[in-house]
Amino acid sequence: MIVVRAPLRISFVGGGTDLPDFYRRSPGRVISTAIDKYVYLVVNRTPLIDKVSARYSIAETVNHPSELQHTRIKAALLDMGIHKNIEIASFGTLPSKTGLGSSSSFSVALMKALHAFQGKAIDKREAAEAASRLEIDLVGEPIGKQDQYAAAFGGFNVLQFNADESVNVEPVLIDYKKRAELESHMLVFFTGITRFASSVLTEQKKNIGDEEKFKTMQEMAESVHEFKEKLLKGDFRGLGEMLHAGWTRKKSLASHTANSIIDDFYDAGMKNGAWGGKAFRDGGCVMFLAPLENHEAIRKAVTEVARANNLEEFREIPVKFVQSGAEVLYNADHLHKLSL
Amino acid sequence: MQEYIKKFAEQAEVALRNLPAEEIAKAINILHACYERDGRIYVFGNGGSLALATHWVSDFNKTVFSNHLEKESRKFQAVRLPSTESELTAWANDLGYDMVFVGPLRNYLQDSDVVVAISSSGNSPNIVKAVELAKSRHVPVIGLSGFDGGKLNELADAKIKVVTPKGEYELVESIHGIVFHIMTRYFRDYFNHVAKRFEEQHHK
Repeated sequence: MIVVRAPLRISFVGGGTDLPDFYRRSPGRVISTAIDKYVYLVVNRTPLIDKVSARYSIAETVNHPSELQHTRIKAALLDMGIHKNIEIASFGTLPSKTGLGSSSSFSVALMKALHAFQGKAIDKREAAEAASRLEIDLVGEPIGKQDQYAAAFGGFNVLQFNADESVNVEPVLIDYKKRAELESHMLVFFTGITRFASSVLTEQKKNIGDEEKFKTMQEMAESVHEFKEKLLKGDFRGLGEMLHAGWTRKKSLASHTANSIIDDFYDAGMKNGAWGGKAFRDGGCVMFLAPLENHEAIRKAVTEVARANNLEEFREIPVKFVQSGAEVLYNADHLHKLSL
Repeated sequence: MQEYIKKFAEQAEVALRNLPAEEIAKAINILHACYERDGRIYVFGNGGSLALATHWVSDFNKTVFSNHLEKESRKFQAVRLPSTESELTAWANDLGYDMVFVGPLRNYLQDSDVVVAISSSGNSPNIVKAVELAKSRHVPVIGLSGFDGGKLNELADAKIKVVTPKGEYELVESIHGIVFHIMTRYFRDYFNHVAKRFEEQHHK
């Protein structure tokens, strides 16, 4: 048996510039951090059972991976030539579709685990590349590459996406005091709204042709440097204000990025003293940076928005940053191979 | 006499001023990630460097948590290799000195671990061999070297190189001691900070 885990992430600025339509014209850049919420993947060798089994929100047992419903497990197994004698199960700290990158964390963990299953150790970069290839090339999802790299590398990073498909990962070396302070100024809420990430991104992609919007994206990629500088200085108000500017810019890009409920959430936070914030992807989560004395008021206000919209799954998610990336926690598969 | 002493102090000052802070920060992050996944840290070196490894292991496993030894449920698991003289001599006598670290490391090493290798020249064959094993398994390596860094500095993920003229072992080992104490102090302060925050939150 092999156990792998990969963290989810919080991205601050630059989201969307990791799409090929943009970074092939101008370098894309995202600043993000891994958080203490994980996707866990278990892969088990079943030498006496000639089947493929995948267990996630449902359980599938099939004779050949081509019969699987789970698109990414199916594509990965077919691509790697694993056709039988395997069980794959996934577990998560959070529900899926929070917008915190869990689907790519899953892919990175899957790549790490399946390579270990074949007796190959892959490093962080290889895991990120393999997961990007799986999601974008093999499955054809219209997504970028930031989440795969954030999950594979862990920690706080500036990711740069180059036209030649290479990705630079530059760690942001902040000490524990600033990290803890940023954590304590941050509020993250799961809105309870769950939709697919691809819908918004498709629209954003479509719009990049427009020269003015391309310029806006360039500004977003550029602002990553400023965000990093403010972070290293511990200027949390400045960071919040940059998030707010990013939110405003992003709204100008894709007309339906946020539906009106997400606007309500965001406005509730801003009216109650947040410096700034953002919604993740289709609004699975909203996040605020705010002075500590305003946290209670913001909590109350957003809870009220959730209640008014009957979002029963709404809750606050306490978040801490982690250094860990995608990691094999346990690998006893070689023992299994010896005994059979 | 005093001049001789001052000259060493001055050389040490220069080496300290040029401390690779960014690489030490990367090493700290590697150790932090290892702690988060409950991995182990294997530390080794030859001669004085082995003594540094032993010293740091006790600091890291205990001193870091001195202020809350009872409360902290999970601690660092740093292990000096080889952990017994019997193992050291068994590998050296039976297979040769280049096996004394890689031999035991092969028994222990898991994907979730970290390796800390100390070699002033960066070229001790037994160190390089053990580091190559770790690299082949994609286990992160923190390398503390001196002089021009040698092979260890090339291979390491965190490249803590104390640049000195070749052969300045005393200088390099002294600075290595300081680097280890920085890491110990960082995590001691970090865990104190975490404990303080925890208490504040629960006595609000």
